[in-house]
Amino acid sequence: MAPPGIEFHHVWKRFHRGELHDSLRDLVPALARRLTGRGPRQDELRAGDFWALKDVSFEVMPGRALGIIGPNGAGKSTVLKILTRILRPNRGSCTVRGRIGALIEVAAGFHPDLTGRENVFLQGAIMGMSAADTLRKFDEIVEFSGISEFIDMPVKRYSSGMNARLGFAIAAHLDPDILIIDEVLAVGDYSFQHRAFGRIRELVRRDIPVIVVSHQLDRIAELCTHAILLSRGEVVREGNAADCIAAYVLNPTLSVVPQANSTDPIVLEGLAFESDAPIRSGDRMRATVRGTVAAGGIPDAIEGLAVTVRSAQTGERLFSSSTRRLGVELPARGSFELAVELQLNVPPGIYGLEVMVWDRQRGGTTGQRLSGYVQVMQGPDFSGPVQMNGTMQVLALDPARRS
Amino acid sequence: MQPNLTATPPPVARPGMFSELREIRRDLWEHRDLLLQLARRDLKVRYKQAVMGFAWAIFMPLLIVLAGCMVRLIMAEMSGSTVNRTAIAGLTVKSLGWSFFVGTIGFAVQSLTGNMNLVAKVYFPREVLPLSATLAQTVDTLLGTAVVSLLIGFLGVGPRLTMLWVPVIAVLLYLLTAGLALLLSCANLFFRDVKYIVQVLLTFGIFFTPVLFEPAMLGPKLSTLAMLNPLAPLLEGLRLSVVAGHDLLTPLVEVNRHGQAVLVWSPWMLGYSAAWAAIGSVASALLFHRLEFVFAEYV
Repeated sequence: MAPPGIEFHHVWKRFHRGELHDSLRDLVPALARRLTGRGPRQDELRAGDFWALKDVSFEVMPGRALGIIGPNGAGKSTVLKILTRILRPNRGSCTVRGRIGALIEVAAGFHPDLTGRENVFLQGAIMGMSAADTLRKFDEIVEFSGISEFIDMPVKRYSSGMNARLGFAIAAHLDPDILIIDEVLAVGDYSFQHRAFGRIRELVRRDIPVIVVSHQLDRIAELCTHAILLSRGEVVREGNAADCIAAYVLNPTLSVVPQANSTDPIVLEGLAFESDAPIRSGDRMRATVRGTVAAGGIPDAIEGLAVTVRSAQTGERLFSSSTRRLGVELPARGSFELAVELQLNVPPGIYGLEVMVWDRQRGGTTGQRLSGYVQVMQGPDFSGPVQMNGTMQVLALDPARRS
Repeated sequence: MQPNLTATPPPVARPGMFSELREIRRDLWEHRDLLLQLARRDLKVRYKQAVMGFAWAIFMPLLIVLAGCMVRLIMAEMSGSTVNRTAIAGLTVKSLGWSFFVGTIGFAVQSLTGNMNLVAKVYFPREVLPLSATLAQTVDTLLGTAVVSLLIGFLGVGPRLTMLWVPVIAVLLYLLTAGLALLLSCANLFFRDVKYIVQVLLTFGIFFTPVLFEPAMLGPKLSTLAMLNPLAPLLEGLRLSVVAGHDLLTPLVEVNRHGQAVLVWSPWMLGYSAAWAAIGSVASALLFHRLEFVFAEYV
C-alpha cells in the first residue's frame, strides 16, 4: 500500500502573544547562540508564549479527504501553514509527499497595477506552476473565471468578486499531488460558487490526499471521508466527518467563550431536558432553563433568553426565538425557571439546543451559553424532511350507507 | 495548558553547509519561473506608471556622471589643470556599477516587507524576493550599459582586449550586491528601521566609494584605506580595464604631483574584493536560509 501522502506527527507549534519585534541589542547574542547551536532550546515555552498546536497528529492516505473543523483560534490555519511549509513546527514533524496545490489565499500574489493576464502568470508562478504550464492552461483558466472580456484590464479595477474568481480559476488548474482547500468554498456569485464547488468535487475525487478546512460544515460533510476537531490547539475528536461535526456543533464550550462575569444582568445556571429518550419527529420536546436575574434588573438592551436549534449534521441554524419575541417577561430579580417547549417538526437526526443571553446593543451574546442535544427518530405518521402535520379525512361516503 | 513534557522532540539534524547550499541552489532552480515572473512584475510596475519609462534605467548613471563632471571641474579649477576626456569616461563607467549597487540594495531591502502578504500566506523559497529585485535591477543596468558604451565611445574609448575583465568584475559585483541584498532584506524584516539606515548609507556612500574620484588622488596612505571598501577595487578595476586599457593582472604605480608613489592597482585588490564577494554571498545565503522559516511569524 502506498504511504500516506500527508503525515502530521506529534506536532507542537509555539506562538508569541503580542509584538515580536525585539531590540537589535537582544537579537544579536540570541542569533549568535542559535547559529552556533547553543542557547535555549527551540521547544520550550517562555513568558508570553503559548502553544498554538499541542501534539497534533493525523495522516491522510491518497484518495481520502480529511476535514479540519473547530472554532476560530483552534489552530486550523496553523496546521495549514505548517503543511504548506510557511511555518515550521517546534516539535514533531510534518511529512508531505508530493507537490501541494493549495486553494488558499488564491489572489494573494496579485499586483493591482498589472492586468489580469499578467497576474495569471505571476500568481501561477507563485503557486508553483511553470510558465509553460500556465501558458498551456491559460485559455482554460480565463474561461473558467468567466471574466475573459476584462483579462487585459489592470486588476485594481476589478471588483472583489472578479478578483477572487480569477484567483480561484488559477488555483483550480494546478495539477497537485496533494490538495489543500481553505475557505474558498464561497467565492463569487451563486453561479460561480456552484461551478467552483463542482470543480472542487472533481479535484477531490482524484486519487490524491485532500485536506479541507471550512466553517461550512455541510460542505465538510459532503466532501470529507473523515475529520478532526481542533480546539485550543488540540485534537479533541477524530473519526468520521459526521461524528466530528456533531461533536463540534453540540459542544460550544470548545469555543473560546468568556465565562459569566459578575456584571452580567442574567446568569444562566442550567439546562435540563424532560427526558433523555429520543423524541419522535413531530412530537414536542420539553426542557427547563434555570437562571438568576441580578439585583440591577434587566436592561433594555437585553433581548432576554434566546433559544437556538442547530442541525448537528451541518451546524445550520434551524430555529431561533427569544423570551422577548414570544412576549415572555423574566422576573425583575431573583432566580427563575423557564420552561421551553418546541415541536420538533424535523427529520430524524441529532439536534443541538443552545440557550444564550442576547445583547442587542452588542449584537451578540453576553458570552454565556448552555447547550444540549436531542435525538429525533422517525415518527409513525410521515417521512421526508418536513413535518407538515398532515391530516386526512374521508368526506364522501356512500349515501346508501349514511342512513 | 501545560505541554506534555515527557514527549521528547526528535533530534533535529543540522545539515552541513554544503548540503544547505545545494538545497538553496535546488530551491532556486525549481522556482526559476517565479524568479523571472517577480522580476518582470517589478520592471513592469516600475515602468508602467512612470512618466519617464525606460529612461529611468539611464537616469541615475547620467546624474552621477553630471555630478562627477562638476566635481572634476571644481578640482581642476583649484589645481589649475584641465579635465580630460579619459577622466570623464572613467567616472561614467564607474557610475554604472555604483547605480547598480545602489538601485539593487534600495529595492531589495524592502523586498520581504513589501511582499508581506506573500511571505505570510504562500510558500516559496524566500530568497526569490531579494534576488528578483536584483534581477530587475540587472535589466536596468544592461540598458544603462548600452547607453554608457555609446557615451564612452564618443569620449574616445575604443574596444580593447582588457575589456575582457568586465565580465569577471560584473560577476563579483553581482555576488557582492546579491549577498548584501539577502542580508539587508532579512534584517529589515526583523527590524523595520534598517531601511532608513540603509537609505542614509546609500546617500552618503558615494563619498566613501571611489566613483567621482580616484583613490590615487587621496595620496598613498588614504588611497590604501579607500581601497578597503570592497566596492572600490571593483569600480577601479572597471575603470582601469575599460578606459585605461590596463591588464588587471599587473600592478600599477603612479607618481602624483607631490612626487609620491601611489599604488593604483594590484591584482591582490581584486582578490580582496573577490573574497568579500564569495564569503559575503555564501554567508548571507546561509543566514537567510536558516532564518527564512521564521519569516512568516515576523511579518
